[in-house]
Amino acid sequence: QAAVPSQVVPGADPSARQLCFAWGPAEVLVCETLFGRRGESPSRGEGGPGRALLPGTLTAYVAGTGEGGSSSSRLFVVRKDQDIYIQTLRKLFNESHGIFIGLQRSEEELAGKSRKAQLVQVSKNYRSVIRACMEDMHQAAILTRDPALHSQYSTQVSILSAMELIWNLCEILFVEAAAAGPLLLRLLDWVRLHVCDVDNMVHEVLSSENPSKHELFWNVVDVFVLQGRMDEARHLLSKEASANPTSVNMYKILDDLMKKMPVPSLGNTQTLTEIELKWQHWHEECQRYLQDGTFASNSHMESICKILLGDEDAILEKKDLMTTWYHFLVTRLLYSHPTVKPMELRMDLFLGGESSPEPLDTILMAAFEFEMHQVIKECSIALSNWWFVAHLTDLLDHCKLLQSHNLYFGSNMREFLLLEYASGLFSHHSLWQLGVDYFDHCPEYGRVYLELHIERIPLNTEQKALKVLRICEQRQMHEQVRSICKIMAMKALRNNRLGSALSWSIRAKDAAFATLISDRFLKDYCESGCFSDLDLIDNLGPSMLLSDRLTFLGKYREFHRLYGEKRFSEAAKLLLMLMTAHIAPCSFWMTLLTDALPLLEQKEVIFSAEQTYELMRCLEDLTAGKSDKQKFQDDDVETMKVEMLRLALARNLARVIVKEGTLEGS
Amino acid sequence: QVSVINTVDTSHEDMIHDAQMDYYGTRLATCSSDRSVKIFDVRNGGQILIADLRGHEGPVWQVAWAHPMYGNILASCSYDRKVIIWKEENGTWEKTYEYTGHDSSVNSVCWAPHDYGLILACGSSDGAISLLSYTGDGQWEVKKISNAHTIGCNAVSWAPAVVPGSLIEQPSGQKPNYVKRFASGGCDNLVKIWKEEDGQWKEEQKLEAHSDWVRDVAWAPSIGLPTSTIASCSQDGRVFIWTCDDASGNSWSPKLLHKFNDVVWHVSWSITANILAVSGGDNKVTLWKESVDGLWACISDVNKGQGGVSAVTEGQQNEQ
Repeated sequence: QAAVPSQVVPGADPSARQLCFAWGPAEVLVCETLFGRRGESPSRGEGGPGRALLPGTLTAYVAGTGEGGSSSSRLFVVRKDQDIYIQTLRKLFNESHGIFIGLQRSEEELAGKSRKAQLVQVSKNYRSVIRACMEDMHQAAILTRDPALHSQYSTQVSILSAMELIWNLCEILFVEAAAAGPLLLRLLDWVRLHVCDVDNMVHEVLSSENPSKHELFWNVVDVFVLQGRMDEARHLLSKEASANPTSVNMYKILDDLMKKMPVPSLGNTQTLTEIELKWQHWHEECQRYLQDGTFASNSHMESICKILLGDEDAILEKKDLMTTWYHFLVTRLLYSHPTVKPMELRMDLFLGGESSPEPLDTILMAAFEFEMHQVIKECSIALSNWWFVAHLTDLLDHCKLLQSHNLYFGSNMREFLLLEYASGLFSHHSLWQLGVDYFDHCPEYGRVYLELHIERIPLNTEQKALKVLRICEQRQMHEQVRSICKIMAMKALRNNRLGSALSWSIRAKDAAFATLISDRFLKDYCESGCFSDLDLIDNLGPSMLLSDRLTFLGKYREFHRLYGEKRFSEAAKLLLMLMTAHIAPCSFWMTLLTDALPLLEQKEVIFSAEQTYELMRCLEDLTAGKSDKQKFQDDDVETMKVEMLRLALARNLARVIVKEGTLEGS
Repeated sequence: QVSVINTVDTSHEDMIHDAQMDYYGTRLATCSSDRSVKIFDVRNGGQILIADLRGHEGPVWQVAWAHPMYGNILASCSYDRKVIIWKEENGTWEKTYEYTGHDSSVNSVCWAPHDYGLILACGSSDGAISLLSYTGDGQWEVKKISNAHTIGCNAVSWAPAVVPGSLIEQPSGQKPNYVKRFASGGCDNLVKIWKEEDGQWKEEQKLEAHSDWVRDVAWAPSIGLPTSTIASCSQDGRVFIWTCDDASGNSWSPKLLHKFNDVVWHVSWSITANILAVSGGDNKVTLWKESVDGLWACISDVNKGQGGVSAVTEGQQNEQ
């Protein structure tokens, strides 16, 4: 059973304390406490265990004890080192996102070879992003003067390098999955590219004046042979031959053997049997020369011949030139029978009994054994983020290589990993946008995960809120849209931005809130005598119907506009309608009637007789509706207003009766 | 690998009992035996004290943030038998409502899903559970479930809002018919599930498995599956995961997550319900995840400072 990773919060009190915690949206809060107290009678200041919680995978706030230690008052903010916070990795996340999306949308209809070529290209693209990142990181490491940063960057470089190594191998074995011959060539390329420890030595020898005299000459020849670089090996050997006439014969034979070695070529047109025969023939020839003692006088050449024969001990002797067990593996593959049989990894031969495999070794081993799930599992454990396994698994899934395993969280391995990766992105203030796309491509739980995460994005600015909103609207996430609009409306209201609050509540289709805000507008109007946010109210359009109060607000403003434009009879009609159709709340009637006063006092008669009667009725309804107590409480101003209205209405009535009773022209 | 990125000095004068982040992780509320509730702005690794709220007359046990659509609202409960609801108005935090309807310490408060409105459930040592619903204009309506748990109620947790037939989009403006449920844990060793029917709260289920006081319950967030999941922990050292497969909520079956060596005080789900955090008397916080085969495995373990690696691993099924 694997040991469980344990996290310690540095600085927290080591003595026995209980830990209290709570989940934040992307963090865990931790503090020291004493649970037992709850429900019992506590005594203040009683010393006792405090709790320090450390978050396992999240940021956490940890309370420790202050100096002097009687009570805990400090909180430590602790965060697991997450890669998403590393600036230089930003490119990795952004660019791989583009590749990921491209892959999801790519042509599934392409069959066979073209599809495979396409997938290989995707894999190569991912790898080039990793390499670009490595390069940046390397540059950053060189440029920085801060030793801690330098160390961090260097570590990152090695991690990225390991990732590229693994990915490359997976690409060869799983994605491209060529036939034996071409596969071997790929593996050789892979070894050459990644085993670099000998490069300096090679360069040194090659650039020396007299390579064959160099003490490391034979080492370099061996390196070439071990890596299957026959032409280069032969070229070097020819220098040795010209320097040493005595060994010319030996050289010629070895050169010939090396030249004749049947090398798998990519455009192989031979049948398997033909290849086998050729190889068998060649192998026997090498064997003969060796047994004849042809190379007996030159141990170097003899050992090369043994290597050609695939002699494990001879190859193993050159351990230091191969530096890694996987180089050893590939070399043995090269010099063994062409139809590549399952080859034992024999890491023990290479490493010697004592040392145990490093995580990287474990992963590569699993890959060589074609245990894809094991590779994914080991990578998940070894790497500190989900980026690698999520993208690799997704690619392998597109290659139709993964059996579906039903997991509880995430319907299959691919989805599970993508969900984990994308969830991690959401704790970042800008990378969360990438996360959205990943969730989109998780058919089972992507949507609900998106719903849960998107609600937690802080809506600091209107711009951000609109961005989030657009994402929700595009996906018909109506609940989230409503929720966000309500939150923004509330925020605006708290900051006294009524217009904004109103817009948001209209967008949220929140009738109750719209009513509340309309009331505020009306209240402000009553107090200040003017409206704010006229533009908004004037252009409400059909959304006016969201709430009665809002409708009233809109219409009332319209009344003011009509009045301002001196369209008095229209204004009058509207004003009356507001009361008779009960659009206006009763509390506002007095104000409306008061607004009618100027219309009643115009030179021209505006209200018709019928309208005047209506107005009078409204006034009576209003005053009748008041209880005696209320009437008693009415101050003089109120009473005077009512009186004035009555008078104005009566006068208007008188005038209009005369007007209407008068025949035109008579 | 963790690193300390910030240190917040809360200046509480006594034990901190709870600390909660708001919805967005921008604010932190803490409460303490020193009777105060404090609110900090913790954006960008900073720590600015926004409010130091006084009003309780005893240790404050828990705080809970309401959904941001209702504004900045925080509830707190205390040994002083009170539940106080605080609100930020015009930039300052004030008490907006005080509930004194309990006869004993109030141990737990939990806000209902925002879809239901602004509703707070409170569990108390007097055995009752109160439900405070905001009705508008500063008014709160109270419903009380007396004798919810004999001896006392220690925890309350709401079920996520799920509308029956929720796949169908409701016409806008129409309030869907939510079935409101919450879970509670008490000193009668029981976990109970409560359902609202015709405006009344009724006991729907009694979940028996613990042999000592239930200290905490946590209803997992919904990820769209028809199953419901509740975690409960107890004085008996056990943590159970309860699942109910059918929508009608009738058959709950417990699965033992683990038996700890000491009292387990607190359980809590991550947002997407895939990790359960458990806080035990053995001075550790452990994080658990369900594996492929339905077994729960401990994925991380937080130690009290002595470092080293814990041997706690797979959840053992039949440890009784």
